[in-house]
Amino acid sequence: MRRIFVVICSLLALLVSAALEAKGNADKGKARAVTKAGNQEPCASCHGADGAKPVAPENPILAGQYSDYIVKALSDYKSGKRKSAVMNGVAAELSKQDIEDLAAWFSSQKSSLHFQR
Amino acid sequence: MTIRRLLSFAFTLAASLTLAAPAFAQQAAGAGDPAEAHKKIAMCEGCHGIPGYKTAYPMVYHVPKLGGQSAVYISNALNAYKSGQRIHPSMRGIAASLSDKDIADLAAYYAAGH
Repeated sequence: MRRIFVVICSLLALLVSAALEAKGNADKGKARAVTKAGNQEPCASCHGADGAKPVAPENPILAGQYSDYIVKALSDYKSGKRKSAVMNGVAAELSKQDIEDLAAWFSSQKSSLHFQR
Repeated sequence: MTIRRLLSFAFTLAASLTLAAPAFAQQAAGAGDPAEAHKKIAMCEGCHGIPGYKTAYPMVYHVPKLGGQSAVYISNALNAYKSGQRIHPSMRGIAASLSDKDIADLAAYYAAGH
């Protein structure tokens, strides 16, 4: 009986953590990053293909960045807390789900970005 | 060439060198020296130097990875924190303590990807 209880609790914990951690869908994020009516490449035109090779050094590398940091940055651009002439306009077009999906996509891509002490 | 002419030439040369010096110094600060940054990264390491570290205030999320990011982006970010244009309580305090040279050195350090 006790064993069953432990198993059920672990399963519940797994489900909850999965729901909390993996809210974004990387495939949907990829689609959102590449195509949007009126703007074929809203992300790639500045941050490069897969967010790995920005077209100018002012634009950060997104590929491989932590997904929750990307969510935070896009949310702050959307709310206007973080200011950027370009990004405020781009983020205004994104839903909360778009932001989660884009973060899931870019964080799972490879680039020169890495943890550094 | 008379002595007076020679003196005036020397004076002009010295004056133009003096005027040009700050411009050279600024250029040097703009380039940034990763080796110099080793003395300054202690305050960055407390958060960015811990694998998977999450900031607890004002929101919980991973502090960004900086290694391999472009130097221009990092120095722009630090300057925006310093001026208060970009808002983050801890980064504002840290960036406020950095000189232009510190910012250039740190940006070069992380961009170089040591």
